[in-house]
Amino acid sequence: MTTKQDQDPTLPFWRAAVTLRILTLLFALGVIYYHQPAYARPRLGLVMGGVMILWTAAVSFRYWRPTGRSLLAFTIVDLAICCAVMTSSRWVLTPLQLEGQPAPLIPTIWVTGVVAAGALCAGATVGAVFGGVVAAFNYGVRGYFDVDLTRDMILLVGIGFALGLAASSLRESRRSAERLAEALRVEAATAERERLARSIHDGVLQVLARVRRRGIEVGGEAAELAKLAGEQEIALRALVSSAPVSTENGMADLGARLKVLETERVSVSAPATPVLVGAHVATELTAAVREALANVEKHAGAGAKAWVLIEDLGSEIVVSVRDDGVGIAPGRVAEAEREGRMGITRSLRGRIAELGGTVTLETAPGEGVEWELRVAR
Amino acid sequence: MISVMVVDDHPIWRDGVARDLSERGFEVRATAGDAAAAVRIAKTVRPDVVLMDLNLGEDSGVAATGHITVELPETRVLVLSASGEHADVLEAVKAGASGYLLKSASVEELVDAVTRTASGDAVFTPGLAGLVLGEYRRMAADPEPRDQPRLTDRETDVLRFVAKGMTARQIATKLVLSHRTVENHVQSTLRKLQLHNRVELARYAIEHGLDAEPDSASQ
Repeated sequence: MTTKQDQDPTLPFWRAAVTLRILTLLFALGVIYYHQPAYARPRLGLVMGGVMILWTAAVSFRYWRPTGRSLLAFTIVDLAICCAVMTSSRWVLTPLQLEGQPAPLIPTIWVTGVVAAGALCAGATVGAVFGGVVAAFNYGVRGYFDVDLTRDMILLVGIGFALGLAASSLRESRRSAERLAEALRVEAATAERERLARSIHDGVLQVLARVRRRGIEVGGEAAELAKLAGEQEIALRALVSSAPVSTENGMADLGARLKVLETERVSVSAPATPVLVGAHVATELTAAVREALANVEKHAGAGAKAWVLIEDLGSEIVVSVRDDGVGIAPGRVAEAEREGRMGITRSLRGRIAELGGTVTLETAPGEGVEWELRVAR
Repeated sequence: MISVMVVDDHPIWRDGVARDLSERGFEVRATAGDAAAAVRIAKTVRPDVVLMDLNLGEDSGVAATGHITVELPETRVLVLSASGEHADVLEAVKAGASGYLLKSASVEELVDAVTRTASGDAVFTPGLAGLVLGEYRRMAADPEPRDQPRLTDRETDVLRFVAKGMTARQIATKLVLSHRTVENHVQSTLRKLQLHNRVELARYAIEHGLDAEPDSASQ
């Protein structure tokens, strides 16, 4: 479903269908004017002409910018009105005009417009069905079958089908062109990233790693510098290794999102293949892990390390965050939560609950804290 | 004395690691800067442990790891690589590497890892445990299973604990097992993966008619 008019490749078709509708209206009005003296109910015929003028104005206005969700509903109303005008011929025309020496029905070829609208709106099947409905009313109003009516039916169904097919394939080719452009863009970005990653790997990272190692050996102030070099090394590695985070259909690789949280004291383990989840789930889980890690920083004690593990169980994603810090005594968790020492718990639990997941907290004095976050796919 | 060979395309790093190791009593028999040289030289000097970087310029250390472990069954390969290369690390381990250590590891950790690798242990970082765990799960979810290896429940538990940063000793205490048993579980997860990889490669070769004896190079 297209939402922006300038993006709809079928727009010229719609405009053409509106033009056709107006031209066929003029033709139908001419036919009414010509046959009207011989009608059974000439005045009703003129009223029907008026209805067609008003409705043509309405559909022209609506189809000139064929957007919005109610478009298909509108084409169905359009179909109903066209069929109603056809049916009025039963009373306007004389029996002779209907059967013996057939005169055109009131709307004549004006009804082809709605078949075009249905086809452009919803494709070949709907187009053919619209054509079939109009043809069925044609038979019904006349009250007999013959070669001419059958020819009309084939034309109506055929036009609906062909136009619908054309509209669908136009939209499809637009979509594949967009997909191709997206794929090319991602490929170019990936190639650029790899080029950068390689040059960073070959140069800066090697030197930083060496500085860190030598600095630690030399000790003193050099050790300070070594520590800084080490932090930059890890940050840079995480940066060059993280893949583009979003894919075209709103999915994100949770592994890549969490990998960048890796530091000297935080290790992040994930499968080698991307762990694809909805972008929202990835964002919330990442925020939850960040909160848990911030808590480690604040409360686990100096020198505590943390490990993040991402597991893809198919129907479920499990993210564990464990630290080797001081931990909390059993029964003191609730108290700690009240004191605000575990102030993040509420926020973290809230995020996971909102995703329909579960949170387990395991801890003991001297045993660190372990969070397990489980979220269904 | 444990003999070592260092493979890395970056001279600063390569020579630094070589010096660190010889200062701590290892015999550094050779160094190499690319995959082809690594395989050739390893066959000549037959070290106990090859320290393998995976990012060797145009080459990958994965293929070199495969060649070395197939042709030199006594030699073990320890991957020493950057944290970003998860997919390559997994491939290297499947090709026969017996462990993985981050380049950001300290000299003490490196010395410990080389010693343990030489004595036949698997050296697992939490990151590698996460990769191996993920690989078994990927195989288990394969819609067309063809006798892929599976983890026992115990092995899954052990790998999860390793991935969450627990040491073998902590895991042993937690599961009431001996330290040795934990090591064996870890090793067996690797061995199953490597065996499966060889079977798959052989199957691929047969299916694609690559199994004909090429020349004297095959053993």
